[in-house]
Amino acid sequence: MKPTLLVIAVIAAVTLRIWLWRRRRRTPAARDHTNWGPVHGGVGLVAAREMRERFRSRIFLVGTAIILAVVAAAIVIPTLNSGKTTPERVGVVGNLSAGARSAVESSATSNATTVHFRTVATSTQAATDLRAGLLDLVVIDGRTLEVNTAISPSDSSTNASFIQAVAQNLSYVVAFQDAHLTAAQVHTLEISKALPVASLQPAKPSRASHVNSVALTGVILIFVMLSQYNTWILIGVMEEKSSRVIEVLLSALRPIQLLSGKVAGIGLVAFAQATLIVVFALSLSKGVGSNLFHGTAPLVLASTIVWLVVGYAFYCWVYAAAGSMAERQDQVQTLAFPLSLPMIFGYIVALTGASSGAPSELVKVLAYLPPTAPFAMPVLVGFSAVTWWEFAASVVFSLVCTIGVAQLAARIYRRAILRTGRRVKIREVVSRRVA
Amino acid sequence: MSGQLELEGLTRRFGTVTALDHLSFTVPSGQVIGFLGPNGAGKTTTMRAVFGLTDLDAGVVTWNGAPIGDAQRRRFGYMPEERGLYPGMLVGEQVEYLARLHGMSPHDGYREAASWLERLGLADRVRSKVETLSHGNQQRVQLAAALAHHPEMLLLDEPLAGLDPAGIDAISEVLVEQARAGCCVLLSSHQLDQVEDLCESVTIIDHGRLVVSGRVDDLATSGPRRLVVRVDGDRDAQWARNLPGVTISEVGGGEARLVLDAGVDSDAVLRAATLAGRLTEFVFARRRLSEVFREALG
Repeated sequence: MKPTLLVIAVIAAVTLRIWLWRRRRRTPAARDHTNWGPVHGGVGLVAAREMRERFRSRIFLVGTAIILAVVAAAIVIPTLNSGKTTPERVGVVGNLSAGARSAVESSATSNATTVHFRTVATSTQAATDLRAGLLDLVVIDGRTLEVNTAISPSDSSTNASFIQAVAQNLSYVVAFQDAHLTAAQVHTLEISKALPVASLQPAKPSRASHVNSVALTGVILIFVMLSQYNTWILIGVMEEKSSRVIEVLLSALRPIQLLSGKVAGIGLVAFAQATLIVVFALSLSKGVGSNLFHGTAPLVLASTIVWLVVGYAFYCWVYAAAGSMAERQDQVQTLAFPLSLPMIFGYIVALTGASSGAPSELVKVLAYLPPTAPFAMPVLVGFSAVTWWEFAASVVFSLVCTIGVAQLAARIYRRAILRTGRRVKIREVVSRRVA
Repeated sequence: MSGQLELEGLTRRFGTVTALDHLSFTVPSGQVIGFLGPNGAGKTTTMRAVFGLTDLDAGVVTWNGAPIGDAQRRRFGYMPEERGLYPGMLVGEQVEYLARLHGMSPHDGYREAASWLERLGLADRVRSKVETLSHGNQQRVQLAAALAHHPEMLLLDEPLAGLDPAGIDAISEVLVEQARAGCCVLLSSHQLDQVEDLCESVTIIDHGRLVVSGRVDDLATSGPRRLVVRVDGDRDAQWARNLPGVTISEVGGGEARLVLDAGVDSDAVLRAATLAGRLTEFVFARRRLSEVFREALG
């Protein structure tokens, strides 16, 4: 009862707040027109505008929908395949002992499938059924196996694995029978367990393929999102300059306030979108019973979000400074290309590392360089090839470098944003004396 | 709401070009001041200097005797020469946003934006994107953005450019109303006839230096005598070209504006005009602002 009352109370409070707010907007207030207090909220206002405009934009909504659809497909499709395994159809000619039957069933279980037995009168009939595709395997007198087409050693299908497992397991049953063991002896052998193997060192980390997939997905997500949001900053700053709205804005704000508000607003949109994607992926994975996010995968996802934020913090200033030097779309293209090179390099190396099954030495080095760490470090996390303090050290180093980059970018932005006419050269805005 | 803007010795150089050259003048409140000058004279640079949008090599801008800081600057309204609006943003939200950047509360910003847009005839375009508006209506939005936070001073760079007569009348009415309410209004324009009708005082600069400053009435009545003469059949005023001590100031529409030197007898001019053809107009006139402008710039 208590939770229900709490929910009702929250809804009532929110409704009352909205009603009061709407009423205030409609009713002329008797307060003074002017509120000349210092605009501490200037950064917040700029950030809020950026967020509102981005959330409203069709490109954001469509882009988010496409990413969610791709993530959903990546999670759901494998589960559809695994859930639809058809039972192996086994024809039985002659007698099949309980032990042999059990061996066939356990072969099916170990290959994540089931078995359906059908008694066939003669081996001739069984061969006919095999050719007709009515049976997958025929067991004659518990000793002979027949299939329609020979199994290739490279065939990794469930059917091939099942048949190979049956051949192996039945061979033990036949061997027990040939050895004339008693029922008790056979039972003892059947329930035997593998001997424990002692080791001198702990096991090396598992390199299961699904972990690599998650790291791979994380790297792609970071690259796509950093590219998208950095482009927004670049274009947004350039448009403010080319539309001359910058003059009106800077008549009320300092350049650093405007710049901070812009990167904060777009950054929050990026973080919200990334969080939405990750929460969606985890929820869907749990809902459909996917095994994609087991093992170290959640850690990889968490590191993906961390590096998305750290990577954005590093690159956003660089792109904002570049945007302040351009006034037209073609100038933006010219500026964006060299800026994207470190990202593309880090992305390709990280992608190759995540696909190869082991991180290269180059990936390990790039994981500590701020321009490439957002791509390389999640791969190391995916392979459990990094300790927590190494991870933290890379984050701290990136953040320290970000402070320096932000200071330089703010200086360039302040000097370049109001200069119109031709494209501003970098040496003109970093020199001590400005013309 | 009253105050005075003072510009003292403003100097700004861009490489070898001197945009402002020890420029000094005062803008009092309560009247609309015209800020005139040829292209490249330094008008826009002066306005940008007031808002700290350009660094000065020398000089200081003060408001009521005190240097202008961030808080004071937010009490000014600015309309730049090349309009500054977000093309894809809704008109109402844009004006409210800019009002809030100047320190207004959410409620006041919303209310003032709606009020000014209605006053300027844009009530039905509040939910439109700026880029869908005509040039004239964008100009009105820009003015609403400059006014919504009740500024103590308005600096308007070419606010009348590209407007039809109705638009000019609407904006002129608002500017005069603001000035009467104690606001300090400085506007630049190349439309001298409109400036003459709208402004009580003008300041003319050239090459970054002050050339003339004063009340329009005083400038109009100062200087040599002027005659407006219309002679049928002589639209180019050929009859006056060789008259001693007489200079043709303007010729247009069959009307000649003549400037008489100090010793020239106006009766002699009348006789010369009568001999040239049928005389339909012969009156003494005030100096037009366009004449003040041309004569000031040499």
